[in-house]
Amino acid sequence: MSLEQPRPELDVGETPDGEVDYDELAELLGEYVLDRESHVNAEGFVIRPDDVVAVLDILKRDAGFDNLSCVTAQEYYDRYESIYHLKKYDDPTQELSVVVPTLRDEPVSQSAASVFDTANWHEREAYDLVGIEYEDHPDLRRILLPDTWQGHPLSLDYNQDQPQIVALREHADPMEHRSEVPDEQDTMFINIGPHHPATHGVLHLRTVLDGEQVIDVDPDLGYLHRCEEQMCQQSTYRHQIMPYPDRWDYISAGILNEWAYARAAESLADIDVPEYAQIIRTMSAEMCRIASHLLAVGTFALDIYGDFTAIFMYAITDREKVENLLEDLTGQRLMFNYLRLRGVAWDLPEPREEYFEKVREFCTYVPERLEEYHNLLSANELFQMRVIDTGILPPEVAKAYGCTGPVARGSGIDYDIRRDDPYGYYDELEWDVITDDGCDNFSRAFVRLEEIRQSARIIEQCVDLLEEWPEDEREIQSNVPRTLKPDADSEVYRTVEAAKGELGIYIRADGTDKPARFKIRSPAFCNLQSLEVMAEGEYVPDMVAALGSLDIVLGEVDR
Amino acid sequence: MSKETQLHDTLEQAQSTQDARMGPGVDDRFNSKLRQAFGASPFILTKFDAFMNWVRGNSMFILLFGIACCSIEMMHTYAAKHDLDRFGAGVPRASPRQADVIIVPGTIVSKFGPRMQRVYDQMPEPKFVVSMGSCTISGGPFQEGYNVVKGVEEIIPVDIHVPGCPPRPEALVYGVLKLQEQIQAGESAPVTVKPYELEQFGDLERDELVQELASEIDEDDLVMRYNWAESP
Amino acid sequence: MVELLPETVSDLIGIEGFAVEFLAAIVGAAIIGTIIMLQTALAGPWAKRKITAAFTDRISVNKFGPWGVGIIIPDSVRLLSKELIVPEGADRPAWDLAPLVIASSALLGFAVIPMGDLGPINFHLADPEVGLAFVFAIASIASIGLVMAGYSSNNKYSFLGGLRAVAQNLAYEIPLIIVGISVVIFAGSLQMSEIVAAQQQTLVELGPVAIPAWFAILNPFAFFLFLAANMAEVGRNPFDIPEAPTEIVAGFQTEYSSVYFVLIYLGEFIHIFLGGAIIATIFLGGPAGPILPGIVWFLIKIWAVFLLTQWLRSALPRVRIDQLIEIGWKQLLVLAFLNLFLTALIVGVLAA
Repeated sequence: MSLEQPRPELDVGETPDGEVDYDELAELLGEYVLDRESHVNAEGFVIRPDDVVAVLDILKRDAGFDNLSCVTAQEYYDRYESIYHLKKYDDPTQELSVVVPTLRDEPVSQSAASVFDTANWHEREAYDLVGIEYEDHPDLRRILLPDTWQGHPLSLDYNQDQPQIVALREHADPMEHRSEVPDEQDTMFINIGPHHPATHGVLHLRTVLDGEQVIDVDPDLGYLHRCEEQMCQQSTYRHQIMPYPDRWDYISAGILNEWAYARAAESLADIDVPEYAQIIRTMSAEMCRIASHLLAVGTFALDIYGDFTAIFMYAITDREKVENLLEDLTGQRLMFNYLRLRGVAWDLPEPREEYFEKVREFCTYVPERLEEYHNLLSANELFQMRVIDTGILPPEVAKAYGCTGPVARGSGIDYDIRRDDPYGYYDELEWDVITDDGCDNFSRAFVRLEEIRQSARIIEQCVDLLEEWPEDEREIQSNVPRTLKPDADSEVYRTVEAAKGELGIYIRADGTDKPARFKIRSPAFCNLQSLEVMAEGEYVPDMVAALGSLDIVLGEVDR
Repeated sequence: MSKETQLHDTLEQAQSTQDARMGPGVDDRFNSKLRQAFGASPFILTKFDAFMNWVRGNSMFILLFGIACCSIEMMHTYAAKHDLDRFGAGVPRASPRQADVIIVPGTIVSKFGPRMQRVYDQMPEPKFVVSMGSCTISGGPFQEGYNVVKGVEEIIPVDIHVPGCPPRPEALVYGVLKLQEQIQAGESAPVTVKPYELEQFGDLERDELVQELASEIDEDDLVMRYNWAESP
Repeated sequence: MVELLPETVSDLIGIEGFAVEFLAAIVGAAIIGTIIMLQTALAGPWAKRKITAAFTDRISVNKFGPWGVGIIIPDSVRLLSKELIVPEGADRPAWDLAPLVIASSALLGFAVIPMGDLGPINFHLADPEVGLAFVFAIASIASIGLVMAGYSSNNKYSFLGGLRAVAQNLAYEIPLIIVGISVVIFAGSLQMSEIVAAQQQTLVELGPVAIPAWFAILNPFAFFLFLAANMAEVGRNPFDIPEAPTEIVAGFQTEYSSVYFVLIYLGEFIHIFLGGAIIATIFLGGPAGPILPGIVWFLIKIWAVFLLTQWLRSALPRVRIDQLIEIGWKQLLVLAFLNLFLTALIVGVLAA
């Protein structure tokens, strides 16, 4: 069956039934481990700030933890803390947190960038927002906020009311930044973005060109940094946080994002979700995935084809169809706010038969329509000429950068949280994980197109289940207290498969009804890091295509 | 002074400005040589103005400008179902030099504010701004964020606000139509070089002009103050 | 020999002399120019939008006039009345001249195109013996305009666009002309009227329908080569890389606003129509066609080519610059020479 996955020989610290043996791991690390913490999702090993590289290296090489999923930084009253959330690409249920406390007066910690490439940006973000400094970091500067920013906004003593004075001079002329390769006379420095038709929002690529070839590209983020983590930290668990996830990945992947928060908070506060609600969640989430992938394919075609051509318009037309279904269900076109901790907001719209009819119609329409997309895109020779063997992302590099979702699957990495770490109703349904080992722009677009078909399959099965569900067992929400106050100092890190990849949420509770730390692991943020590898040495149009095939969404990259 | 009287005064002022414009010229801002030659209220110029307003109100190129969530709904507005081009406003131009209208679709943060101002400055007159979504009105759901500019109006002037989070495509179409109505009625007057400016600066050399203008600039204007406590 | 347009005009005036001939030539040129400008005015702000809309399931402009054709007036007046921004550091004379060069070079090409007749009037301005050479030479002046626009704007995107335009035009000018030469071998003349006349013979009789010996029918291979090269020459999809909006914003025209932008825009459309006119003249029998007057047939043919460009624009992806150059130099050029060689062989054998 598709949901089974082949199991390679066991790593150190792995039990035969796919669990992590933390004692064995602690033995492996020996005296590096100062203390052991227990988080809701996994155990945390506390280590010294100057042992980071050694510990992560051992864990990566010997214990098979090859996925640095996220780096969370936070400040306590007595210390700073960086948490490295480790996972395995083979089995994401095997998790381990490496907790690195540092002194409050001198928050300096060793950088993990030499072990995991993906740590580079994560640690820059931690430095930017929390203020932990990382030793031996290749490029430690602000990533989301302007260089002139004063203070670290997620640290405890940050005063939000202090005026930030940013001289316009320093920001007025983006052309001021000159080439970083001064020795080579033949190169041209060019700013692509933050307002540019190909950047899918407000991304700024500082690019050095040699003729038409890209020899260096440095993405500059933060033009849409909307303080999402702060927003969530000052909102209550029960109701106030839920609207924000819709706006992280705003390409109508709303329910997928909401689910990420719901999954983390539900496992933190130990809330059960009725099965009926899980099916509705699964169905609506897959609708969102279709909408999101359609836009990804449409804008990718826009990048390759030029103006607003037929494929883009077809994609938007089909998005209108799925958005209509979602609107019937949730009452909104884009920002659904439909999930609740414990279930969903309301039941399917009445009359149910009519709604099922519409959804079924859509599900039969999708495969027919996909044929048309394949005819226009993947079967088009000019298109193949443009995208095959461009923007190469080898699987090892993809893993090093923590790529997930269609980007990883387009590089032949068989990794999908829906199957490997099942949640919702996915493990009861019949569907396939699409992979393609082309590792190029074409495979990524192809994987997305085929995932649309799988999503339609999932929706169809959900509709069958919902239709047969007995009327008196349609429980959409379980009972939970009016105010949610998870236990103080409980920590959880949970991921779901969002449209762009693995979307993770870290929450630390402090006993109140608001989280003390809310950290978002954004898949697009990690995927975007690999652009440098894909673009360097390619032509400008290929860089644009590579960016399109990564399908970033700046709301999620910058948060 | 209450809100109503304030509003009343503003209306009256507007009325008197119009009087000044129509009556024997008092405010020399509106007295170009041409107007003087043709009299205070020249038929041909008012007709010409009316024609130009009609022209500008019925045809606009829109800057291809996406920021955040609202840009998704903006794309839907351009695309097949809602088709903004029916109203002569559906040609997206990638270069600001060729655009008339900028729809600001999303949250402006401190890093992007200056960039957006630059894009706006690059557009040729007459130019119009539609602010789309709650974030561009007040900061919307992210108003309390440390990094969020509380509304696009802090940076560039806005002609039409379209509320919503995000506004539906229908709402944006309505907003653009209202903008067109406004332009056609001559209410959203384009900022142009006024005759008095020509008179004042016309015979200055370029460098002198720069100095003249530089002496007028307040040092404080050169920094982008970002102060949440004092923001409305 | 049919009377040319200036001669018709001077006959109408009825006085002999150089001054009158000169005046007549100007009037004739104005008439031809007006006809072409009318086509571009129709195509630029309106037809292009409507055609694209039809390909993408939209309606597009429909407010004024039948099918919204009235949008032309507000669109053009509005564009002309915009502020003209001159970027700092622009290379002034070149920057100002570029739009003029782009627009006028394409327009000049129509001087030698036989556009057919309407009653007694023959819309054909001049018929030099080297007509085809003239039209190719004039049309390629536009690439100078593109370079000027690209480098003088003091903008890196413009610069990239200008460079791409030159590389592209060089790569496709040569196959274009070589395919053109194969037609010359068939017709035995460079003179446009001769080329048209050579296509008037009947190739085969199919019952009541006589298939004329249009070169597109005689040599479809050359026809398709020419179509492809022409598409690159006028810079339309799949070869629109000099202004690829998703890569280099708007290429060489990034910094142009207002009147200059209108001129460049016009120039592009006139260029498409000139490409269509050349195709119509040397492959589709010029203005020839049954029943309707020649000028109508001519317009139908150039609009058909225009429609084709818009169709390709909606359906085909844009190739990359290196692929484009490769297609031009390594494939199209080789095929063009092959075509020339075969044509020469066949014509030589037939003649012998």
